[in-house]
Amino acid sequence: MLGNFYSLFKKDCQMMWAGKFFLVALGSLLIYTLFINFGYIHYMNAELYNVYLYDPQETQPEASERIHPVSSMEELEAALSSDADGVGIDASAGTPGIVIYFGSEKSDNHRADYAISLLHPGNEYTAQIVGTNTPESKQRKEMCCELLFVELIAVGFLGIASVLFKEKQMGVIRVHAVLPFKKGLFIMAKLTVFLLSDLIFAVLMTVLNIGFSDAGAILPAVLVQTAILSLIMALTGFGCTMLLKDFRQFSLAYVVIVIFASAPVFLSANTSIKMAWIGWHPFYHIYMGLKNACFGTPVTNPIYYICSVCGIVILFLIVQAAFRGEMGKEN
Amino acid sequence: MKGLFYQLKSVWKDKFCILSFLLPVIVALALNFIGGIDLSSVTEYHFGVLENDLSDKTISWLERYGSVTIYETWEDMTNAVNEPSTYMIGVLADENGIQTMVSGDELDIFRQTADTLPALYRGRNDAEHINVTVLERPDIMSGLQNIFIAITLIVAMFMGCTYNAVNMISEKENGVDLVNQILPMTQSGYVVQKIFVGFTGGCLSAVLTACCYFRLPPGNALLMLALMIPSAFIAALIGLFIGKFSESLMSGVVYIKIIMIIFMAVPLVSYLLGTDGLISTLCYFVPSSASFEGIMNLAAGEQPVVTSVIAKDMLILTAHCIIWFLLYLSISKWQKRRVLTI
Repeated sequence: MLGNFYSLFKKDCQMMWAGKFFLVALGSLLIYTLFINFGYIHYMNAELYNVYLYDPQETQPEASERIHPVSSMEELEAALSSDADGVGIDASAGTPGIVIYFGSEKSDNHRADYAISLLHPGNEYTAQIVGTNTPESKQRKEMCCELLFVELIAVGFLGIASVLFKEKQMGVIRVHAVLPFKKGLFIMAKLTVFLLSDLIFAVLMTVLNIGFSDAGAILPAVLVQTAILSLIMALTGFGCTMLLKDFRQFSLAYVVIVIFASAPVFLSANTSIKMAWIGWHPFYHIYMGLKNACFGTPVTNPIYYICSVCGIVILFLIVQAAFRGEMGKEN
Repeated sequence: MKGLFYQLKSVWKDKFCILSFLLPVIVALALNFIGGIDLSSVTEYHFGVLENDLSDKTISWLERYGSVTIYETWEDMTNAVNEPSTYMIGVLADENGIQTMVSGDELDIFRQTADTLPALYRGRNDAEHINVTVLERPDIMSGLQNIFIAITLIVAMFMGCTYNAVNMISEKENGVDLVNQILPMTQSGYVVQKIFVGFTGGCLSAVLTACCYFRLPPGNALLMLALMIPSAFIAALIGLFIGKFSESLMSGVVYIKIIMIIFMAVPLVSYLLGTDGLISTLCYFVPSSASFEGIMNLAAGEQPVVTSVIAKDMLILTAHCIIWFLLYLSISKWQKRRVLTI
């Protein structure tokens, strides 16, 4: 049995090598790593609003150094029109007045009060820090997790389809019906190839983008989540390939899954936009599991793991039934 | 003409092809009925406070700046502050006023807000008497809402590209491509037939998507149509390029994916980061940048501004159409000549 499994595994590896799947994965890894290290962490920054003061009579001698003084009303207007989030203080009449462009009601309140507080600065205060990450390490972990998720959902799913459709169209699947080994081995071999390649991808992605020292501690949890997602996606891809007629039909299913599975999940998990129904979206929990693992707080709730295992087993049974159906097809 | 009829017949028979053209329309309908996504929470601050710690007056003061969530225990609040998807600032009572806590991994704007919040609290009474003049500017939230539909429209136009690419690759795999080479048909005739199907599909899909979401005055609707036509044409043309250079369906799908990401990401990033100068000019090398800019202006802008910006965008799109079309024809002719000499 082990010998049969090995030959199937070797055949799948060869097919994926010939289909340039490993090359695509390696290329993606390179692009993601370059993007994180040279793009994302350098451009993601935002400072508090600039404050501009027009005070010809010098009525505000205590004004903070953070305020940018301007010499005329025209200069103040020009500064605000080019920096619409900035706040202008017009003290030409003796008492300060605030001039701002509308943002939103609450942020306008804060911008105005912040500008006024800079006119009479007190002692510098620093907020208490309760987390362990720096802004850079957070950005690295966040983006690494997002790209890992995209890679597992998109590329892995597509990869299994590209290999299987070729075998399906060539009739190789039907040949397996007469081969003397257990039919489940065919599925297991495919799953093993994709699982291993996804795990290696996850290790490289984490080490290259989060750093060797930080990656060591979070890697076991990341690998567990990667394995769950990888198996689910590989089984879904397998099932879709068995049930759909050709690659064209598959590409439509692929677009639907990528759009509807990832877009709401990304919105809910990465921004403060929380949709009420997102709790029912299975990918949301898996994504959060991966994200929490990347941030060193792996999911400990056993229900999550029980549901994941049940989901994988159910998918496996569906795929096995579809595979047997495909093997038994006459034409 | 007969060739075109056969092309359309093959599309009509392929239900999945029609479904893929309808996909953006379904997304637009969903966006329309759901009423978009509430994005107002993105721009406001989020504060976490402990139960029975701050006075009601202080909580009302915090609510002037953003939303306030009350936690029962210190651990719950610390976990919420450390939660990576939000930028929550923890606020606690202090003998002199308030003190704040942050995770330490947030963007500078949130850390600085937390650092300055106690000073704002101390000066809250002075701030009440200050005269605030708020100047009008276009609602940035409606701009953000329009992004979704602009991107959906670009995807709709892009469907022509996907169809053409997949169609040509299938022809290659089935050997139809070889038959086409010996048919008494000119290269430009073949290209026009191929572009026509993807172009018509992309156009129809984009028009239906726009009809589902926008209620534009007739003048703007015409301008929108004038933008869609060259955009769908370029998308269909790019589909032919992908079809020509892909060896298999798998590599074709990878190319489609890469180009689709570029088509969506370049205008989006350029819009969100507000690029100008050389970078913004470089963005116009991706045709969807001009389409995106035009759609966003039509969705939100005033009539005089719209016309000048749309004129520029249409000029850029027309230039793309001509350059890519000529490039494709010359590559095809060169390849055919090479085949004949071999």
